[in-house]
Amino acid sequence: MIIPKEIKQKPLEYLSLAIIFIIGLVIYFFANISSHTQRLVVYFMAACYFFWSIIHHYRRGDLSVSVVVEYLVMALLGIILLTVTLF
Amino acid sequence: MKHNLSYYFIPQEKNNFRAQLLKNSFLVILVGLYLVNQSIIKFIGTVKPGVLGYSSEITAEKVLAQTNIQRQNNGLPALKYNPTLSKSAINKANDMFAHNYWAHTSPSGATPWDFFKAVDYRYSVAGENLARDFYDTESLMKGWMDSPTHKANIINSKYQEIGIGVVNGTLGGIKTTLVVQHFGTPIAGVVNNPSKPKPTQTVTNPKENINKPVELTNTKILSEQKSNYINPLTINKIVGAIIFGLIIIVLFIDGYFTLKNGVNRLTGSNISHIGFLLIILIFMLYQKQGAIF
Repeated sequence: MIIPKEIKQKPLEYLSLAIIFIIGLVIYFFANISSHTQRLVVYFMAACYFFWSIIHHYRRGDLSVSVVVEYLVMALLGIILLTVTLF
Repeated sequence: MKHNLSYYFIPQEKNNFRAQLLKNSFLVILVGLYLVNQSIIKFIGTVKPGVLGYSSEITAEKVLAQTNIQRQNNGLPALKYNPTLSKSAINKANDMFAHNYWAHTSPSGATPWDFFKAVDYRYSVAGENLARDFYDTESLMKGWMDSPTHKANIINSKYQEIGIGVVNGTLGGIKTTLVVQHFGTPIAGVVNNPSKPKPTQTVTNPKENINKPVELTNTKILSEQKSNYINPLTINKIVGAIIFGLIIIVLFIDGYFTLKNGVNRLTGSNISHIGFLLIILIFMLYQKQGAIF
């Protein structure tokens, strides 16, 4: 299985990403925050995801422009679809 | 046909071992499609006003009850319902529908306090809360209580009376329910010195008290009509879920075939992409409608 193998190779990195996502989920849903702050949580999560990808691929030795652009597009996709829909 | 589909969903030599739908250019196209969907919704709202809309079960009674529950939770006395203030609040909502705006100050420069004056309600302290597109009173109240400035109005110890306008209409081509809270204290009831004006609160010079609070007896309920229009938020959620779902499925397929064929390639991690998109999808599906001002 590629998924366990990929995670097994860098367990701490994937764990840190999972923690970022969980913290984002908890703040978004359970903290008593306004929609403006919820929007900031989404931006922060997307930024963390993007910077995580750079560190992850740098440590793996396969950081390239195309990979960075891929994560950037994916982060923008999430931000645009969510913010345009909800805020 | 089958061959074409595999090109978009399955990594192979022809697509450089990356499902075509996951290429950056296609992701940008998907974003573009979503923005086109948004434009269509706005276009429909302009060309066919009333086709799209938000349904609501909010009533003035529920808003009053919820407001006083919040005050009691904060050790404050309940606000008395004042029909004159409600008239002012309903007038404000109708004015927003009539002049197609969503703000405390109208395009012609009318402030909330002009609506108080128009119904001859003289106050020492007054405030206004606005909300739109909420389905239920609980969500509406949570929205206000989560906002420091709106919460400050609801649990302001200087207020003695409240009027509530819950009015259905078409705003920006979309049917919705506007909720307006007008808070006030008649001049004779003032004990403390008036506070300085805040963004959602103002003070005028005390004059004679012309309004006597009365009990809530006949609040007009305007939001219990059965809706037969399409909720734009639902359309957005469906289209957004389709786009996210499609990308997540293709990421799974792409990961599976990459593993199966043992291909080494220079791309991002499918696992992290799936995790991120799933989180965003959860945010999108869970989020309720509604806006406050």
